[in-house]
Amino acid sequence: MAHVPNPRPTGDFRATYAADRTLFRTRNETMAVLAGVVLVALCPLVFGGYVLSQLILIGIYGIAALGLNVLTGMTGQISLGHGAFFGFGAFASAWISGNGIPVLIAIPLAGLMTMAVGMIFGIPAARLKGLYLAIATLASQYILQDFFARADWFTGGTYGSLAETASVFGFQLNSDARYLYLVLFWVVIAFVAVANLARTRDGRALVAVRDHYLSAEIMGINLTRYRILSFGISSFFAGIGGALYGHYLGFVSAEGFTILLSIEFLAMIIIGGLGSVSGSLLGAAFILLLPQAMEVFANGVATVVPAIAQGTAYIKQMSVGAAIILFLVLEPEGLVHRWRMTRASWKLFPFSH
Amino acid sequence: MPTLHRLTLTAALAASTIIAGAPALAQDDSVLVGHLADYTGATSFVGKQYGPGVSDAFKQINADGGIDGTMVELDTVDYAYKVPEAIAQFKKWVGNDMVALQGWGTADTEALISFVARAEIPTISGSYSAHLTDPQGKNPNTKAPAPYNFFYGPSYSDACRALVQWAAEDAKEKRTENPTFVHTGDNHPYPNAPKEACASYAEELGFTVAQPVVVPLAPGDFKAQCLTIKDSGAQYVYMGNLGGSVVSMIKSCNTVGVEAVYMGNPWAGDYQTVEAAEAQNLIFPSSTPFYGADVPGMALVKKILENGGGQVGDRPTHHYLRGICSAYYMKEAMQWAKANGGITGKNIRDGMYQKTDWVPEGLEGVCLPSTWTPEDHRGLLRVAINSGSFIDGKAVIEEIAEIDVPRREEWLGQ
Repeated sequence: MAHVPNPRPTGDFRATYAADRTLFRTRNETMAVLAGVVLVALCPLVFGGYVLSQLILIGIYGIAALGLNVLTGMTGQISLGHGAFFGFGAFASAWISGNGIPVLIAIPLAGLMTMAVGMIFGIPAARLKGLYLAIATLASQYILQDFFARADWFTGGTYGSLAETASVFGFQLNSDARYLYLVLFWVVIAFVAVANLARTRDGRALVAVRDHYLSAEIMGINLTRYRILSFGISSFFAGIGGALYGHYLGFVSAEGFTILLSIEFLAMIIIGGLGSVSGSLLGAAFILLLPQAMEVFANGVATVVPAIAQGTAYIKQMSVGAAIILFLVLEPEGLVHRWRMTRASWKLFPFSH
Repeated sequence: MPTLHRLTLTAALAASTIIAGAPALAQDDSVLVGHLADYTGATSFVGKQYGPGVSDAFKQINADGGIDGTMVELDTVDYAYKVPEAIAQFKKWVGNDMVALQGWGTADTEALISFVARAEIPTISGSYSAHLTDPQGKNPNTKAPAPYNFFYGPSYSDACRALVQWAAEDAKEKRTENPTFVHTGDNHPYPNAPKEACASYAEELGFTVAQPVVVPLAPGDFKAQCLTIKDSGAQYVYMGNLGGSVVSMIKSCNTVGVEAVYMGNPWAGDYQTVEAAEAQNLIFPSSTPFYGADVPGMALVKKILENGGGQVGDRPTHHYLRGICSAYYMKEAMQWAKANGGITGKNIRDGMYQKTDWVPEGLEGVCLPSTWTPEDHRGLLRVAINSGSFIDGKAVIEEIAEIDVPRREEWLGQ
């Protein structure tokens, strides 16, 4: 970890351990996060469907990426099957709500179901590391994908299944503006939960498993238990994200949850910042908005240089790959680190750090 | 970040903002029609033919004065056959007051059934799934009625029934005892669409129906699947896939020595496939003549191709012609809507019901007479059966039968 100067103002000392472990480090940070939530909540008054749909998707992917960040960023367990767990959550919620249970209850239930499935797949992971683990999770991706295509009773097979519209006491959440609040609610719950997890004994145990499993074990941390727990937590958030996604589209089909989605989730947490809570959201926003920004850019260039009009689709795809490579090379600690550096430079202006 | 980098980045960002911010010149009197096309995805082999058929046709429609003066703003998006992308795009269009949709694939069209019905957006798709033909859910087996879905041509099920009917005749001629039929295709909505319907009709006509064989939609080496087909002893193999996958399968099966008649769905056969696979007697259905045929409407098709975007070269396949038909049926329904209360989704849908044995003006002999009613969206039940063979380095295609599939009640939506 590169050195980032402490953002706390002069004279703001921490005299107790408790004070040193608050959720937000400064009062301004608390205010900023609250203001952010309020701003998003006010968006439907200002913006149209397109911006709202992007916010909803950022929220949904952000929750799922957060789950993967608990597993990969905090515990150091790589997973190439996250997209399939995301899909499982979507199918589970569509199936539960299709059996007469209200959608708002179906979503957390789907999260719990996905958690159970994730823990089952996490059992071999407790004994595997590195490349072996990557291949084992890749297998889980394919096993689940095949299950989606074949389990007609659960997923509707190759045709997919319809997911009910969410409603609160008969009030239908059938527009983007209404659905945004449901997603925002879960975003707040998920991010507060994981930020808190990082401050608990269990959260620190996960980090210890990541940093040096042998030392962790010698200190009395049960590796098997914590690795499976980490898979469970990660799958839970993948399931919640998937469930929200399913009800948002109103239709769940197996082809949306391929290995590509799993890779996209990995890209999100790498670009956002491994092990960082807010980084998950930043990474999700980046990966979602980059192709669209590139499309706008490419279309804009195409009006000037008509020759590239045919190639806008390729420019879009290539830009995503290029961005990931550039991040790995120039900003291996992700967007979050860049943000911290920026903040530190404001603090210390006019002196560089 | 050094200053130079920062400057470059800022300049690039500023430039892109300026370019992107240039306002698009909007037509005063125009309506938005969404167009989902697959130019880079799993079905792009034929998507690259059908999609330009639709967009070139609308270009010509606008050049000829649009919908009695109203221009059609066709927004073509390559969604690469990804359902979530199609749904996101649909929502975006609905927000921009789309009046109708030119759709494409089976997976996304079926996913959008309830969406288009709720938003009252009439859709003409490139998917011919029979699920789309029951607008009121009259058949008790219909899962979801599709009141706003249309397509030009026979459904996958009806086309497959026609093929089976032809195969039954063929087996009689060849004196094949106890002929066997097998369905092949990916485990995907599109190849699966006619699976049950076609198998049950094949049984009705006295075929032994073998276990379906899963063949991926992506091209590959299919010798293992071909050995399964060989073991089943099937003489008639239905192929639910298209393009490269069909080519790979025919080549693999020739290698392992399968002796069977290959029958494709409306997308699986065209001169390009016959040439690539070097196929002999590839049987496939069609609902338009081939490009260059001697029919009155071909003049307009040639004009559309000349004035079009030039994406299909100078020898388009019949999928391009079906795209043109889809566009022109929609255009005439929009004309009716404009004269009867305005171009809204609901009126365009009602416009589809106004004529019987309907051929769009100027396309006589290209689009076959079709009829849609509020109870039955099986617009066309006449199926031309063709045989394509690779002879002396090029594809030779001849029509070998025309079959009128019966309009059975229990086949509505199935």
